Amino acid sequence: MPSDWMGGMTTAAASQASADAAPTDAALRDAVPSDAGPLNVVPGEPASHGPERPPLARPRECAVSGTAQGLADHLGWRTTTVRVALVLLSFLWGAGILFYAWIWAFSPWRAGESAPSRRVPVAWTLTAAAGIAAFLTLAWVYSWGGPYSGPSAWIGAYALTTLAAVSAALWATFVDTVDPARGPRHALAVRLTVSGILAVLFILALAVAPTQGFAFLLALCSLVAIALVNSATLVAKWRELSGERIRRVREEQRAEMAAHLHDSVLQTLALIQNRAGASSEVARIARAQERELRAWLYDGEAPADSDLPTDLRDFAGALELDYPARIDVVSAGSSTERASGELAAAAREALLNAARHAGGEVSVYIEGTPDAVDVFIRDRGTGFDLDAVPGDRLGVRESIIGRMRRAGGSATVRPSATGTEVHLRFAQEGRRG
Amino acid sequence: MAEPLRVVIVDDHSIFRSGLRADLGTDIDVVGEAADVASAVAVIAETRPDVVLLDVHLPGASDAGVADATGGEAVIRQSAPASTRFLALSVSDAAEDVVRVIRAGARGYITKGSSGAEVSAAARAVADGDAVFSPRLAGFVLDAFGAVSGETATGSDELDRLSAREQEVMRLIARGYAYKEVASELFISNKTVETHVSAVLRKLQLSSRYELTAWASERRLL
Repeated sequence: MPSDWMGGMTTAAASQASADAAPTDAALRDAVPSDAGPLNVVPGEPASHGPERPPLARPRECAVSGTAQGLADHLGWRTTTVRVALVLLSFLWGAGILFYAWIWAFSPWRAGESAPSRRVPVAWTLTAAAGIAAFLTLAWVYSWGGPYSGPSAWIGAYALTTLAAVSAALWATFVDTVDPARGPRHALAVRLTVSGILAVLFILALAVAPTQGFAFLLALCSLVAIALVNSATLVAKWRELSGERIRRVREEQRAEMAAHLHDSVLQTLALIQNRAGASSEVARIARAQERELRAWLYDGEAPADSDLPTDLRDFAGALELDYPARIDVVSAGSSTERASGELAAAAREALLNAARHAGGEVSVYIEGTPDAVDVFIRDRGTGFDLDAVPGDRLGVRESIIGRMRRAGGSATVRPSATGTEVHLRFAQEGRRG
Repeated sequence: MAEPLRVVIVDDHSIFRSGLRADLGTDIDVVGEAADVASAVAVIAETRPDVVLLDVHLPGASDAGVADATGGEAVIRQSAPASTRFLALSVSDAAEDVVRVIRAGARGYITKGSSGAEVSAAARAVADGDAVFSPRLAGFVLDAFGAVSGETATGSDELDRLSAREQEVMRLIARGYAYKEVASELFISNKTVETHVSAVLRKLQLSSRYELTAWASERRLL
């Protein structure tokens, strides 16, 4: 599979390859059309010197490997010309094949994001070859006729079948799986087919074995080939299994750590809060730590777009660090209200007011019913008279009441002797239609 | 308030036990301590306290023959015939565990971060036969009994839904109102509030509503 593991080879090396190769191939040089190359490039000179010549790289949409096409683009020839030249060269002691393999190995894919896609069904072609070879093997074994009869003939066909079958399976597994036009289902079909062919050969070898001892060896070869064909699946399965095991071990470790921290650190933090008094500095820090630890231990991955209760909880946590307040956020029902909405902004403002001016215990209750979202924020401060708040103090009047009214909701502030309660309400249909 | 409340603290953390013991009010007499299920059952049987402050998570539940239970649940189930009342203490996140302890018979639930005075008051309330509901537990109950989506009990003997009045009480508790404040808000007596809360506790303990366990296993109280 040179095409894949040599994919990262640099263009410089590729150009060097073609530059080395070009002078040796008289046929190639002769075939250069006079008008195809740029004027300043003498045929046969190193390709890297030609600025307008595209670098030697294989296109991602190709027939088999893109070698001929890439070479043609690089040289400015037609693809067919290159192919014919390569085939002709192959008759000179296989030079064309070697040259093809060389370019294939050392030229990279053209820049791009998509996985390479091949037009020619290489795996199926190889499978067909294996099938034909298998048929020939059967014919030779059972008829012993024709000019090429005898054990050496059918052993040759046997070897050819095995080779083609294994190649087909490996190609399908390693090359075609990344091909968007084919994929894993195709690879599975190829593997099953060639496994079938190899199994037939295996049975054949066993049938012949009583009369010809060496057939045992052939049967063994078939077994090895079948194993090779399916090795990719086995390797993938094994990887999956070990990955699963690692995940389970990690999960166990995490649970163990959570249990341990729950038993030790969380208890200690609770005790610190208990002993230090609800709104003391120490208790607040312990509470913040406890919250962080809890979130880390149990929450896992947080949703990107957090909902209203989560958002207010986080905001309350931040406020507790800055103000001597203990904020308890309770939520019921499932709220579709998003954290980015006006309701959340007004609720945050009310929370900030409660923490800043009242302090102490602050209760937040969020209830999301199918037709409305209610948020109650209650503090136990001395309370204040809404009418007595000067008009230039925008806090309550603008940020909470005005904001809710503009957004189509409502806000009421209820001061009492034991504290102030802000009630924000947002009817769902009002906005969602 | 004449005679002190006799209390047993069951928690597997000695630091927490000693801290709580020092912090409880003067009218509370700690008559025993235990660190696991077996010793807790023994101490409770021996001292017969008024109230047991019970950690939800305790070691030794499976040793005591109650498999598949949190330690606190096992203690309650094993000492069920006694006249003792239980108050669950927890740092637990799992609503499931808290609800299980309540369904086993605990009269309420309070977090371990609560101050000594709060714990003392809750222990008193439990000893008097009241239920102790934190805002979170109230929110959970509203959710689990479908009150949020508008389900209301029609008869007084219905266990799977809350009555309209019970929902009002629970909502106010969830909003952070103390029982006294709930009473003045709804223009009812303190005693009536306590009756409603006890009724809700009873429903929480006896209802076979599917959501109770389903919600609990998905959600956390804290």
